[in-house]
Amino acid sequence: MGLFMVAAYYFSGEGLGASGALKTFVVNGVNSVNHNYAESHSYFAKYVGNEEGSILKTWLVFEILGVIVGGILSAAIAGRLTMKINKGPSITNKQRLIFAIIGGILFGIGSQLGRGCTSGMVMSGMAVLSWSGFIGLFAIFGGGYVLAYFFRKLWL
Amino acid sequence: MNEQLIVSGKNIPHIVPHLHLWGTEIALYLFFGGLAAGIIFFANFFYLKGKENEMPMTIKVATLVPPIIIIIGLVLLIVDLHHWMYFWQLFLHFRIESPMSWGAWTLSVIMVPAILWPLSYLDDIIEYLQERNPKCKITGILIWANNLINKLPIVPAIVKWFADNRKIAAYLTIPIAIILGVYTGILLSAFNARPLWNSAILGPLFLTSGVSTAAAAIMWMSNDHKERKLYSKIDLFLIAIEIFFIIHMFMGMLAGGVAQVEAAELFLGGPYTVVFWVGIVAIGLVLPAILEIMELSGFHIPVWIPAFLILLSGMLFRFVMVWGGQASSFNIL
Repeated sequence: MGLFMVAAYYFSGEGLGASGALKTFVVNGVNSVNHNYAESHSYFAKYVGNEEGSILKTWLVFEILGVIVGGILSAAIAGRLTMKINKGPSITNKQRLIFAIIGGILFGIGSQLGRGCTSGMVMSGMAVLSWSGFIGLFAIFGGGYVLAYFFRKLWL
Repeated sequence: MNEQLIVSGKNIPHIVPHLHLWGTEIALYLFFGGLAAGIIFFANFFYLKGKENEMPMTIKVATLVPPIIIIIGLVLLIVDLHHWMYFWQLFLHFRIESPMSWGAWTLSVIMVPAILWPLSYLDDIIEYLQERNPKCKITGILIWANNLINKLPIVPAIVKWFADNRKIAAYLTIPIAIILGVYTGILLSAFNARPLWNSAILGPLFLTSGVSTAAAAIMWMSNDHKERKLYSKIDLFLIAIEIFFIIHMFMGMLAGGVAQVEAAELFLGGPYTVVFWVGIVAIGLVLPAILEIMELSGFHIPVWIPAFLILLSGMLFRFVMVWGGQASSFNIL
């Protein structure tokens, strides 16, 4: 991962990221459906209209596409390419999906409040010795450890 | 208030600075047309090869799809028309030099075998679905349709007559299916004012792409191992031809006049570069080809992944060609 991070900075001038790809996707989606709304919205407006906000100019989008393609290929080579839902023994698939979606939404909101997710803020941030990266590391994993107790029944 | 002063004799919305008359409807219609042509072609072709019992999905069940998607395509086509109330006039005229006329008539003619073919196999299709997939919800609708058709006056006799003469019908339908597949490209290539479209290779390219999406769709629907493997091989072959055509399309354009070179540059560094080479060629053609090669050499690959990618890239290809073609023009003049 460390070497990959160095390569990412070398080739793209940016670190790794994950939530940024989805964010670009959402921003461009909103912009193509309703350009005026996107321009008037304080969050979307930052990314609308400039070249860097375009979905085809964002390296993270292609990084994530590569992650998906690489995931499919490596799973196929390992013979594990199937559709399944990993979950704890005492919950149903539906519960698992509902909680995963809630968790995903919360993490998405959190990543935008904190200006990055585990990859974009913590890993890329720490790679350039940014304070926010180290604080983010403790916040994300510390928060996870503390809250895991309350949701342990989902997995046990 | 933002005031705009336009000093131009060319203030023509949707046409200047570049054409923007055709949108989603046309792209989807071309996709459905190609897919239907491919499915009909495979059903008729393998029927004539005598594989009726070995390939029930191809010859029987999958043929339920073309009439439905052709109707959706035609509805999209009518939605796109400006004076849509006059669409029926296309069916009262035939102009040999007009690709739209060819298309309207090809679609009308192919609707006859496209509807009669699955009807003549309806009993077999119901039996197949009940046997292989008892929970399938379509079976109920099909049984209801079957009962309804049997109660109608002339229809059962027509269907029986079609079933008795299926071989002749198949010989007649195959060329029409090929015309339909080629026509989806010819519709665009007949526009000589749009350098990207005005290439003779578009017809064969759209035909190959349509047949390839059809192979992917049948492969996805089939649950017979041998049938799937055959379509994997067919698809690999078609992907190779498609890539060959794509390369030749660009080679032809780059060897052409300034307008053609500019049209090619939309895809070679211009705004459509990434969508075309990453979205269509890499993820939609090369990746499924790799997955299918892996599948054929013994790795377990869920069939829906390559099939989905090929269908998606086929659709994306038509969107990009429809949009890109309108963006290309004889700017130099």
